[in-house]
Amino acid sequence: MVDPLDLTAGWLHETFIIPVLYSLGLMRWEELAQGWILFAVYGAVQVALTLAICLPLERWRPVERWPDKSAVGVDIFYTILSRVGVLPLVTFVLFYKVQVALNGWITDHGWIPPTLEALFPGLLGHAVVTFVVYAIILDCADYWRHRVSHQFRWWWALHSVHHAQRQMTFWSDDRNHFLDDLIAFVWFGVIALAIGVPPMQFPVLVLVLRFVESLSHANARVSFGVVGERLLVSPRFHRAHHGVLAHGRRSCNYGAVLPWWDMLFGTADFSGEYVPTGDPTGDEASATGSWLAQQRSGLRRLWRSLGSHRKEA
Amino acid sequence: MRFRILPLLLACLAVTSGAPRAFAAGVAFVVNSNSASISIIDMSTRREMRRVPALREPHHVMLTPDGKSLLVGDTAGNQMLFLDPATGDVQRRVPVSDPYQLGFSPDGKFLIVNGLARNQVDVYDPATMQLVKRFPVDQTPSHLAFSPDSRRVFVSLQGSDKLAAFDLTTMTPLWTEPVGPTPAGTLWLNGKVLVANMGSDYVAVVDPDTGHVVRKLVTGKGAHNLFLSPDRKILWVNNRAGGTTTSVDAATLEVIRSYNIPGGPDDIDFAPDGSLWITRRFVEKVAILHPDTGDFETIDVGRSPHGVWLNPAAASP
Repeated sequence: MVDPLDLTAGWLHETFIIPVLYSLGLMRWEELAQGWILFAVYGAVQVALTLAICLPLERWRPVERWPDKSAVGVDIFYTILSRVGVLPLVTFVLFYKVQVALNGWITDHGWIPPTLEALFPGLLGHAVVTFVVYAIILDCADYWRHRVSHQFRWWWALHSVHHAQRQMTFWSDDRNHFLDDLIAFVWFGVIALAIGVPPMQFPVLVLVLRFVESLSHANARVSFGVVGERLLVSPRFHRAHHGVLAHGRRSCNYGAVLPWWDMLFGTADFSGEYVPTGDPTGDEASATGSWLAQQRSGLRRLWRSLGSHRKEA
Repeated sequence: MRFRILPLLLACLAVTSGAPRAFAAGVAFVVNSNSASISIIDMSTRREMRRVPALREPHHVMLTPDGKSLLVGDTAGNQMLFLDPATGDVQRRVPVSDPYQLGFSPDGKFLIVNGLARNQVDVYDPATMQLVKRFPVDQTPSHLAFSPDSRRVFVSLQGSDKLAAFDLTTMTPLWTEPVGPTPAGTLWLNGKVLVANMGSDYVAVVDPDTGHVVRKLVTGKGAHNLFLSPDRKILWVNNRAGGTTTSVDAATLEVIRSYNIPGGPDDIDFAPDGSLWITRRFVEKVAILHPDTGDFETIDVGRSPHGVWLNPAAASP
């Protein structure tokens, strides 16, 4: 069965990207551009799919209604930048380069580069099962990254940009300080290299996971029920994590896709409340400022947190 | 966007739904780079029978000189797959650093493996798969061709617009010379080295002793890869940007005809009935071009199909 998104990316590549690269004498970047356009198409579909499902949900059963929704606009910008724009390209190139260099070096020395399939040969050829195992491991790793980001004052200074939003919607998933994103990328990259993640092999499944993450931020009175809440992170479950009383170390429900880690490590809150969101310890710029103002705010707060450490020392 | 590609899909369907043909038996192997698999196709029914899993990102194929194994290089998987050329069953998987393009010297003494991502040209002893020599290059070694006496191998350096020559008797570099923008497919023909320049519309004809370009053969935008027909009379060139396949008289290097093969035509293999099996990187298909009519059939395969190899001698699965 053909993959319509891959075909769309191929068509865009052949119709628009290649003629431009050819005319500019940049054909050496052709294969790289092919990778980027595939990421961009999947990113655009992620956004469209999220919009098509989450927007009606938010209108149907909103937790909050806001007369002025201007603060949401910045989150839309974050999303486009993160999922369709240049970031996927940079991420892809950096990760690919490091993976090639490291795994080639490992092979040269007579070892086998680490992959789950090398550890469990039975996985080879079972794409969905393999992906699910990779996804579970990465989700666990992300739980710990997220949880640790709430523990250190300097890291929370950056991550608080994500929590500052008082008008949390499905667009808020990608609202992050760029340094917080960078740390997450390195964290993910190290884990991914250690277990040999093959992101390009499972684009549809990655799309589904990203959808769950967006949905969990939706301004929608949606719960998955007693059992479902314990299988997949719901808007209600994740809203508790963003609650005004759950900032910094006080937070709960760190899981991005699976609530299992919160249940396993004692941070789950299934209380059923739909609490107001935001970070009362942050400044107004981080909540309602422009993208640049929010980034600056994160840096200022980071600087102050480092200063307080120095004073304590 | 799906609506825009609809005409293309319908056009392919129209070609596919032509008069039924009688097809000879055999097995076709198509390497799906982005699906990390190899499609096994029954040539008699034109149907994909199954997919052999690779690890990460396989690209090119090459039959061993003894005909007992089909090698598939998995670049990101750092593996060489050895397949049964009749059935596609995996014989073994050998760790090899970044195997992109590969080729056996005509005397069968060496296996050359280009590491495109790691900027290395590796020489292996095919009997033991031990690395004999590594040539670091600058940069992105893409395709390769041997001199018929097996003394020299020529490697296109896609990222630096150059062609490099190596002496396999002394294991030393000979020369590295500019040949045109983004050189890719490389072929030895009539005492010259031909290099398809993807950043341009021509194939550079290179003097193998000096590395100097002595002629430019215009074939189409984004000349990417080139293959010689089994009877050695026709040179076939795939043009990536133009979406065309061009036939060229191998003796005179005069263009004969150009065929529209949209969808990123890349590798070619030749069927006994005279048709060409061409991978189309952007549309998840392999095209079967009938040069006499210019029609082509299509078979659905995996994502980004790249290498293709036909075994007409194998029984259809």
